[in-house]
Amino acid sequence: MSAQMPHKSIVVQSLAQIGNCGLFLLRILAAVPSSLRHVRETVRQLWFVGAMSLTIIMTCGLFVGMVLGLQLYHVLAIFGGTSATGSVVALAIYRELGPVVTALLFAGRAGTSITAEIGLMRATDQIAAMEMMAVDPIAYVATPRFLAGVIAMPLLCCVFCAMGIFGGHLVGVSWLGIDNGTFWSNMTANVDVWDDIINGVMWKSIAFGAVVSLIAVFQGYTTPPTSEGVAYATTRTVVSSSIAILALDFVLTAFLM
Amino acid sequence: MSQRKSYAVGTGLFIVLGFAALAYLATQTSSVANSHQGSSYTVDAQFANIGALKERAPVKVAGVRVGQVQSITLEPGKDVADVTLSIDNKYNQIPTDSVATIYTSGLLGDQYVGLQFGGAKTYVANGGHIGLTKSSAPLEEMLGKFLGSGGAADAIGGTYSVRADFTNVGTLSVGAPVKMAGVAIGSVASIKADPVKLDATVTLSIDKKYNQIPDDSSVSIFTSGLIGSQYVAIQPGGSPNSLKDGDQLVLTQSAMQLEDLIGKFLVNGSPSGGNNAGGNGSSNTPAGKH
Repeated sequence: MSAQMPHKSIVVQSLAQIGNCGLFLLRILAAVPSSLRHVRETVRQLWFVGAMSLTIIMTCGLFVGMVLGLQLYHVLAIFGGTSATGSVVALAIYRELGPVVTALLFAGRAGTSITAEIGLMRATDQIAAMEMMAVDPIAYVATPRFLAGVIAMPLLCCVFCAMGIFGGHLVGVSWLGIDNGTFWSNMTANVDVWDDIINGVMWKSIAFGAVVSLIAVFQGYTTPPTSEGVAYATTRTVVSSSIAILALDFVLTAFLM
Repeated sequence: MSQRKSYAVGTGLFIVLGFAALAYLATQTSSVANSHQGSSYTVDAQFANIGALKERAPVKVAGVRVGQVQSITLEPGKDVADVTLSIDNKYNQIPTDSVATIYTSGLLGDQYVGLQFGGAKTYVANGGHIGLTKSSAPLEEMLGKFLGSGGAADAIGGTYSVRADFTNVGTLSVGAPVKMAGVAIGSVASIKADPVKLDATVTLSIDKKYNQIPDDSSVSIFTSGLIGSQYVAIQPGGSPNSLKDGDQLVLTQSAMQLEDLIGKFLVNGSPSGGNNAGGNGSSNTPAGKH
């Protein structure tokens, strides 16, 4: 009996959370025109969530590509198909690993700091102060961070993919000795600009960028104004972003394929 | 203000880097990629069939890569593909009478262009042409050569039909090769069950070139290898008269069932000898035969 009550309230709570999040998205989108007056703030956020995430994105992309090349080479060697390594690395990175891993890293690197920053602004009454000064906090705080996330994610994903291909090439061609031309010719023959790069990389990463930054901004904006509340909100950002990314990945793959 | 400027520059760099990565992905790793190399020269070659050759596939001499396929085009109204090879300037001494062949790396691998040098003292120049080419052999053709079923295709001079009755045709199918001395001389035209004699009537259509087959030849159904497809083999007899259209071959040996075959191996050819003395030692014999 006692177990049923919190269970029910968790369901209701999460439904309310999703509903609030959707309404918050509408408020963010409605504030886009007025946030264009603070375009410098959007650029500053783009620097913070995008450019500052480059190091981790590039390092991880390189290693993901390298490990893919290494694994695939040994599996494909069983069938005598090591020449397909390049195309399989590229397809795996473009269609799944690039957008998903970039989004997960983005949630961990940028999402958490957005949540913590807005949460502390909330906790230290900076947001209330803005309201008092007749500055719309949604337009000045939430929307620039959201827009920056939507813009930064596809760019980061492209960098990730390029580094992944480079890593796969490094292991496959330089280390394991696959023919350079075969590596590239197989890749170019099997990768389609529209299906794999536009649908796979671009649309997915734009959607992931929107979801991750929406969750991060929302969690920060609605956090209880205590240090404990900020800590919980940061954790929730990572957890719900990860779940949302992977679930959305399935849905998007089903639609875009 | 200077701090603002620095992050603006950094953000600009980040955006440029992101778009550069996108442009790289879109142009260099996908199907619209256009290759460009440092110092190379191009050579044309025409192939009747390029198979699955792709642009940027390697060009090899003695198995060593010397360049890549630059473009593959088909001129309208022609039935040969123009393949442009881009070859490293280092390897500029390719005799004009060299042969360009499309090979496959392994059974499932990718195709590449192999160059075998001729003996000419003149070399192919930039924009030159390699006249001697060997096209890609489709897998079916290659397998056909292995299995010997290629003979059915060159029955240009017409065929004649010969009947043979078998008690069991096994998995013999219409179109299976008819071989003599291991060489395909025709194919199976039809397989029907005889409603009266209750056996299988197989019609063999044999190339007219081979019209000297003795009419007392025996005909058997064999399997290529242990699990290969079945074919009809003709063992010539000694009769001075040769087979004519519509004749029947009387001496037939039906298809062996795999169980029979293995049984024969195990008991040294005597179907009734239940002695399993040879059983242990000959367990690897079928593999050896294969």
